[in-house]
Amino acid sequence: MPITAEFEYVKPKDMDEALHVFSFYREKARALAGGTDLVVHLKENLARPEVVVDLKALEELAVFEMKGDTLRLGALVTFSDLIASPVVKNKFPLLWEASLTVASVGVRNRATVAGNICSAVPSADSAPALAVYEAEVIVRGIKGERRIPIGGWFTGPKKTALLPEEIVTAVELKVPSRKNAGCYMKLSRYDGEDLAQGGVAVLAFSDNTYRVAVCALGPKPSRCPGTEAALNGSKLGEKVLARAKEAILQEVFPISDIRSSKEYRLHMTQIMLERALEIAVSRLFGKGPKYGTENIV
Amino acid sequence: MDLQKLITKPKKGVKSAKAGETLEVVGKSVLRVDGWEKIKGAAKYTDDLEFGPGLLYAALVESPFAHARIKAIDITKAEKLHGVVKVVTGRNFTQKFGLYMNDRYVFATDTVRFIGEQVAAVVATDPKIALRGAGLVKVEYEELPAVMDAVKALEKDSPLVHPDLKSYTHVPWFFPKPGTNIAHWRKIRKGDLAKGFRDADLVMEDTYTVPRYAHCAIEPHSAIGLYDASGRLTMWTSSQSPFTQRHVFAETLKSFGLSHKDVRVISTYIGGGFGGKAGVTMEIIAAALAIAVPGRPVKLLWSRAQEFYNTYQRLGCTAKIKMGVSKAGKITALDFKLHWDSGAYVEYGANVVNAAGLSASGPYKVDNLSIDSMCTYTNLPPCGAYRGFGYSEFLFGLESHITRMAQELGIDPVEFRRKNAIKEGDTLPYGAHMNPTGIRDAIDRVAKEIKWGVKEKSKDPKKAIGKAQVCFWKSPAMPPNASSSAFLKFNEDGSINILVSGMEIGQGLLTVMAQIASEVLSVPVSKIRVETPDTDRNPYEWQTVGSHVTWGCGNAVKRAALEARERILDLVQRVHCLDKSTLYLEDQHVKCRTKPDFALRFSDFVINGIQADDHTFKGGPIMGSGVFMPEFASAISDPETGQGGHPNVHYTTGSAGIILEVDRETGKMKIKKVALAVDCGKAINPDLVRGQIVGGLLQGFATVLYEDMRYNEKGRLLNPNFSDYKIPTVMDMPDVVVPIIIEVAQPDGPFGARGVGEHTMIPCAPLIANAVEDALGVRIKSMPVTKEKVALAVKAQKKH
Repeated sequence: MPITAEFEYVKPKDMDEALHVFSFYREKARALAGGTDLVVHLKENLARPEVVVDLKALEELAVFEMKGDTLRLGALVTFSDLIASPVVKNKFPLLWEASLTVASVGVRNRATVAGNICSAVPSADSAPALAVYEAEVIVRGIKGERRIPIGGWFTGPKKTALLPEEIVTAVELKVPSRKNAGCYMKLSRYDGEDLAQGGVAVLAFSDNTYRVAVCALGPKPSRCPGTEAALNGSKLGEKVLARAKEAILQEVFPISDIRSSKEYRLHMTQIMLERALEIAVSRLFGKGPKYGTENIV
Repeated sequence: MDLQKLITKPKKGVKSAKAGETLEVVGKSVLRVDGWEKIKGAAKYTDDLEFGPGLLYAALVESPFAHARIKAIDITKAEKLHGVVKVVTGRNFTQKFGLYMNDRYVFATDTVRFIGEQVAAVVATDPKIALRGAGLVKVEYEELPAVMDAVKALEKDSPLVHPDLKSYTHVPWFFPKPGTNIAHWRKIRKGDLAKGFRDADLVMEDTYTVPRYAHCAIEPHSAIGLYDASGRLTMWTSSQSPFTQRHVFAETLKSFGLSHKDVRVISTYIGGGFGGKAGVTMEIIAAALAIAVPGRPVKLLWSRAQEFYNTYQRLGCTAKIKMGVSKAGKITALDFKLHWDSGAYVEYGANVVNAAGLSASGPYKVDNLSIDSMCTYTNLPPCGAYRGFGYSEFLFGLESHITRMAQELGIDPVEFRRKNAIKEGDTLPYGAHMNPTGIRDAIDRVAKEIKWGVKEKSKDPKKAIGKAQVCFWKSPAMPPNASSSAFLKFNEDGSINILVSGMEIGQGLLTVMAQIASEVLSVPVSKIRVETPDTDRNPYEWQTVGSHVTWGCGNAVKRAALEARERILDLVQRVHCLDKSTLYLEDQHVKCRTKPDFALRFSDFVINGIQADDHTFKGGPIMGSGVFMPEFASAISDPETGQGGHPNVHYTTGSAGIILEVDRETGKMKIKKVALAVDCGKAINPDLVRGQIVGGLLQGFATVLYEDMRYNEKGRLLNPNFSDYKIPTVMDMPDVVVPIIIEVAQPDGPFGARGVGEHTMIPCAPLIANAVEDALGVRIKSMPVTKEKVALAVKAQKKH
């Protein structure tokens, strides 16, 4: 299916040029990295930019490195890059596990992590993992750089804290200082490529503290502080679990749509939380299923 | 003397005079003849064909309303767009068309009847320009009340989708009710229903619903038309039905001076059909556009979304069933009402309704039977053929109901089926008699395979395991005079070209036709070429649908091969003075039982004849032709009872069983094992039959577990894409699939073969529903049986 709309295509050679284009065109410019969302939107006339700015020539956006305890994912780093990285698998296994559930191999070969959070759909699979690792989004505009904590990044469905003249340059994550293990549970209609109908990420720490975040269970991906409070300080047991399962119902706001009903999403939120917690805790003790298995429900 | 020797000590591979007694090629899993070509990516599909720089592209203007009057169409802006060659509306194409019911238009002219219906087309030098042009056509509509539900469409004050139904022409075995939305009502009345219910110890009534489905072939529909200066229309189409298309094109466009001889349809390989490329859908638009722009080829290629909303869809069905059963486990009465949502045009879909109506008893002997199969117009996209042709839909309700009733009576559901299963000679719903069938063997072998009766426990406490076994049957649905034909030509080197118009749609038709000819003529499959058809050169075939081509086209090929064989034997008898009855074909030679030294190579005479002692030549090119028509079939019967005709040529039966693991909390299902036994009469190529079984099961499970066409209240399809219309991936396959071949010969089939293609998907829905109940005690009565439905049903059950 051809793209019928007309637009300018530019491929800036350096960051300065790119930022000037965005400062001039603002909302009328769209950034192109993997293009797995943008190209589809162009075909369907959902996106009507005046200029498409191809970022792939900007070397500093391709940075993918671990410095000290900080992982920097440049805006051009794809999910396949991330999945292929032993560092990510060892230090941020929850992000690695969530990435495996994003779309299909073909899409992951092009789709970027930065693009996933810029599209900011409520079902973004990477978002709950980034939330529990407390990632920072680094953005640049002609006036300079800003660091936005992931907690403040998503402002609504398909809306972010990014300003029209800015682009995302990288996402940074720090390795948690305490021993931890995680699990991402994804509700899909089947085991093949699907958009999450719900996602729950749990990061459990050896000191009995927990971080919980969700996607596709409300207008934007989000942390669940009430659920975390219900869990923190306790070993995982039946009572604590029951408390947490009650608490999370106060923090998710699912809708009924073509993919799932609100009723099933609520039911599955509790099931996913329970299973994610159980797996995360058993992984903390070196048990439980390997990362990347048994997490599609 | 020699003859005796041969009879007492048959040499390996020697054939008797009657073909089929010992088989060399038929029954062997020879490799597909089109395998290499497809694996290497060399096989050409319609969209691969090159037409040079003169090729034009078309895009459509589509209705945004489910039901509306067209008040005005303004094409002036579109016409002015640089690169637009022509804007075409329905004004020049007023002839209605249809396979069984003439209710369909090339373009909507006065009224649009579903969202996405074609109103106009823009032909341009480039696909982008065509699409932009289509966006510039302004259509003024007056929205009309619409009806989206087959049961509501029967209400008195329902909007009428076709107020002029009375004037529509149709086949004589359809019974439309003008002034209503009923396009066809197939009634079956057999025995004494009231007495049957009186004799029952248990009567149970319920309703089962099945949504619409899409075929989801990998290759979307495409068609290229060229109307040239010689006055002929050539169409390259991705089609299961080249000859039927030719007929529809010629009939619909006859006002332009076309006759059948002027229309040529060339069909390439197709990337999946499943019924969706049967008949004529978008191809008529390409044909009309070719007429509108003479001298230049025009291409119409469907997008994936159009593939969903403007081809045939599978009909939705609401099935109301009332069944009576005796304590002994005999079905005493069955009252089955099937309400079909057939969409805006039912030219093909109405025959699905007819076929289901004739056979909704399932493969059981039911003496007191009433079936009402009602084809209803709605303002949703048109429906038509889909693998299974209505049988999956009624079987979901019937086989769910049978298991429930058997359990209620404390009878083993498999034993119940064994007891009621139809036998050869039993009276069918319409009064004719059942063909030979291996259904009991199928039931037994499947039951053994899934260890029926042995309860299994999952290793995971969160999961439960359920089992189910059901039966199925199906007959080809076709006009009684649907026929097949074949030409067979020898070449100088003794190789053969076979011309047929049965379509290779992935099922392996080309390979099977080569095997049949190979068996008769002793020429190896590697020396036989069979290709996809060109209606100018290849002889007639009605359509490749209904799982009938191995049977119908196979019979034609066998007859063509036998005719060629007769010509060979006649010639050798004439020239060599050997009695024909002593001659036989072996290893590409003519041999003689009474003269062991005699061996005449095919390549020595099949084109250039045999040189006689006087140096003259006798014979000439060896060819054969074969025609097959089921001359015993008839579609005419009493409209009130359905009795009297012989509409179905034969039934293929079988049974399937499943071991299903279900997560008690999430509802997620995993098929641990599925076994399906089908009586295909004779597996001409067992691997291809196994392929049909595996493929059919997977497609069937897709419709039960994931797929579902969803419409909003305005009649807009909400999921015309694979993001939200889910077909399973390799990640979702069953753990084990066991295909079982049963062979109880079909007397009129080639080497005993009967159809097998569709049957393998139709038992899937009740298999899952029954296994879910066995595992968790919840009954799902609407398809699809998604994990969401299962989990919520379990949750609701716990509350009670």
